[in-house]
Amino acid sequence: MKHPVLENRVRFVVWWLVWLFVALGQALLFYFAYGTFLNISIVDSLLSLLIYSGIALSLWYPFNFFNTGQTKYLTILMNLVLTGAISIASWIMITRFIIPLILPGQQNFDEYWTATFPYRIGTGVFIYGLIILTYYLFMSLTNLSEKKSREAKLESLVKETELKMLRSQINPHFLFNSLNSVSSLTITDPDKARDMVIKLSEFMRYALSKKDEQPVTLRSELENLRLYLDIEKVRFGDRLSTEEKIEEKCFDVKMPVMMLQPLYENAIKHGVYESTEIVRIITSVKLIDGYMEIIISNNYDPAPEARKGTGTGLKNVVRRLELFYGNKSYMKTSGENGIFTVSLYIPADCK
Amino acid sequence: MAKIRTIIVEDEAPARDIIRHYLKELEDIEVVAECADGFSGLKTISALKPDLVFLDIQMPRLTGVEMLEVMTEKPAIIFTTAFDQFALKAFELNAVDYILKPFPKRRFIEAVNKAVEKIRSGTENKEPAELLAKKPESAAPVNRIVVRKGSAINLIPVEQVKYVEAQDDYVMIHHSSGKALKQQTMKFYEENLPSKDFVRIHRSFIVRVQEINRIEPYEKDNHVAVLKSGEKLPVSRAGYKHLKEELSF
Repeated sequence: MKHPVLENRVRFVVWWLVWLFVALGQALLFYFAYGTFLNISIVDSLLSLLIYSGIALSLWYPFNFFNTGQTKYLTILMNLVLTGAISIASWIMITRFIIPLILPGQQNFDEYWTATFPYRIGTGVFIYGLIILTYYLFMSLTNLSEKKSREAKLESLVKETELKMLRSQINPHFLFNSLNSVSSLTITDPDKARDMVIKLSEFMRYALSKKDEQPVTLRSELENLRLYLDIEKVRFGDRLSTEEKIEEKCFDVKMPVMMLQPLYENAIKHGVYESTEIVRIITSVKLIDGYMEIIISNNYDPAPEARKGTGTGLKNVVRRLELFYGNKSYMKTSGENGIFTVSLYIPADCK
Repeated sequence: MAKIRTIIVEDEAPARDIIRHYLKELEDIEVVAECADGFSGLKTISALKPDLVFLDIQMPRLTGVEMLEVMTEKPAIIFTTAFDQFALKAFELNAVDYILKPFPKRRFIEAVNKAVEKIRSGTENKEPAELLAKKPESAAPVNRIVVRKGSAINLIPVEQVKYVEAQDDYVMIHHSSGKALKQQTMKFYEENLPSKDFVRIHRSFIVRVQEINRIEPYEKDNHVAVLKSGEKLPVSRAGYKHLKEELSF
């Protein structure tokens, strides 16, 4: 922990002003109590408290040391008392030695010293107590704010990690089957194979490189989606067809990265994977009351024996929306007459 | 020597292309058909009775694993899959081999050679029941049961299953629109049917909890479960304990 006074200019000035004020008070007190030693008492007050102030500044270091790793209050108390005794004793001895050097030939100094000695002890102890209080107050306040900032940091770290985990789930089926298609195309159609490798790379780069905190435009999301769908079309051929109906003004609306891909993946998984019919995925986007409405629908086999997923893909999208927008966005799904629809509502003013 | 008659069952065209391409170079092999989904695959296999089948797992309508469950005469099987290797381990013995996509030519040829050797030597495939029971926990939960009735293949959604009854080496699946025999073990269903819905009430019975109307005492120590349909199923002492835990009465 940094020194509370030496590391801060304002506190440094205030520190000395307080001491000066105390010194003047003491000088006045001495003057009224022991009026005969006016010149001595002024010099003594200023000088002795100056010395004490120096000692007080350096006391920070042992205090800080006592507090690190020490949990036994008795040990800390013993340390404080011992340090106090040493500090006060050295303060009085230094003062006793220096004042005659500055004010030579004062015969009545001894008398003055004896008279003020009990008072000195009292002041020493009192000020020492104040210093302990000040430093400890500072330490606990600093600890508190440090703890708070640490907690805040941890929280944002957890959130970030969660977002990353929710996003980075590229379906291994997609990856390996696409690579298998590439492997096949190298024999039957090398140009198409190269084209697919490039698309796959671009898609993966987009999926892996974008930071979660930076929203992207709908345009770049859709561009990336076309890559994804092109790759899937190589795998599934005519079984997959897509259609887009996008309102022009929606293209520049910002949204979280890789938010739509899981919805398409879901459509393909439950549509194309499970059906021999042509599956048509329709995307329509428009602005409604400050929200961007994204509707993705696909036909699927509604038979009860059709295999069902675990719903993880859609759940992840909902969770991500929550983390991004709080309760300002939402998603709903419906499956009727063999058409599955996901509707997504994203605040459109989020730049 | 007669050529080995082969069928490719695979729903993605490029994946079929590469298998066909590799096979073209092998003189022993003759591709007699290609199928793009599980149902047509099954139909073609029983019609053409091939020696060897390349079988994808993830396919529309019926998965490769489900196809294998209901095949009556089993050709040599080589599974080709992208990412189901864990589910596949259990079927390893039942299939000649499995290859992970994308596969190198060397690995492909190795699998084919294994199959050819097995077909030429006439080794029988092992019975599936004992092997199916080895299905590991990491496999996807059962949500439909594939059964064969004559030449028809039926898919029974798990939601329609009322109870499962042991019958020698088979189990009888009683569902909302009839019953069907299936070569499988009770242990398999005890482990793979959703445990919140099904309870094993007897050595020979696994029942859907919701189907139970009431439980009546029977003779001195035993109980019977009366189903909503009026059918009565015996409840063993252990089964009674399971029911007690499940229904907390």
